[in-house]
Amino acid sequence: MELEELKSAWGELDKRVKKQDILNRQIIERMTKDQYQNNLKKIALPEYVGTIICYLGAAYLSVNIPKIEEPLIQFFGAITIALLLILPIISLQSVRAVRKANPSSYTYLEAIQVFGKQKIKFQKLQKLNVSLGLFLMVIGIPVLAEIQGKDLSQFPLFWTLYFPIGVAFFLGFAYWVLNYYNKALKATEKMLGEING
Amino acid sequence: MDIKEKFTKVIKANEGLIYKITTLYTDGTQDGKDLYQEIVYQLWKSFNTYKEQSKLSTWMYRVALNTAIFHLKQTKKRVDTIPFELEMERMTEEGDNAGEERIKILYEHIQHLNLLEKGIILLYLEGKSHEEIAEIVGISTSNVGTKISRIKEKLKSQIKNNDNYGT
Repeated sequence: MELEELKSAWGELDKRVKKQDILNRQIIERMTKDQYQNNLKKIALPEYVGTIICYLGAAYLSVNIPKIEEPLIQFFGAITIALLLILPIISLQSVRAVRKANPSSYTYLEAIQVFGKQKIKFQKLQKLNVSLGLFLMVIGIPVLAEIQGKDLSQFPLFWTLYFPIGVAFFLGFAYWVLNYYNKALKATEKMLGEING
Repeated sequence: MDIKEKFTKVIKANEGLIYKITTLYTDGTQDGKDLYQEIVYQLWKSFNTYKEQSKLSTWMYRVALNTAIFHLKQTKKRVDTIPFELEMERMTEEGDNAGEERIKILYEHIQHLNLLEKGIILLYLEGKSHEEIAEIVGISTSNVGTKISRIKEKLKSQIKNNDNYGT
């Protein structure tokens, strides 16, 4: 098939689209009345809910941290609070970066470049977020147990079995996630390289 | 004429443009619907700021293509959108089979191009002049010519390989 044939096939598609009433007036009306909630706003909502949950968790730990006597667990508690405060900021920052993009202010080439850079930044932040999130899960357990008044040493298998399994799972999952994002990063960098080259 | 009425008229007149961009930059009906609405939304948002220095179609292509680019990031996060009947499947079911097959082949080959090439070839197929493509894409007119020649070569070899493989 020659390119000119493809061009005529493209033209045929245009004729077919014209026969269809794809977007009815009612829907356009709704959009012009700002009743349409764009995807980004909906995607940002779970991020805000997550932020509130994290901050409530940080508040709970801050109030209860004086109950912890063990210095190591206190240290874990402080790190947990810090992570609960920092993680949502990282997440919201990446959503805000996408939100800031105004499609009408760029040329197509600029849009691809901005998109590529944002994607790389997003993927790096995701790498950081997933690693820190898993770390939080591991160190959060002894902190919560101490606050609840449960002595982990009474669970004979905790330090010898469950905790090492948790750490091994954390390392394995982190490796898989980092590998996934490294591949995605390379693909994005390659895409940008092709565009700029 | 009221601005909303004017906008509705513009959108109705250019549905084909939005539809084609939507199908080229998404891989599913639901995602296509989302992008379709997003493009109309972004066009409405910037409709007031559209200055008649450039052609209406140039502005529309730019906003629609750029929205498609920024939408790529969100494709894995599915969200519910307002009820919307975009009959993508029916569109390709209608008409003669040969035409349908040609459109399918065309889409398939364009999907293998990188984002810049995809945008340029779409504008080329839409019959845009090199000057207008240059304005929308943001590269020089001579560069448009060079890139179109390269894309043509690339597509030709893709199609040739495909034909050889198929026969």
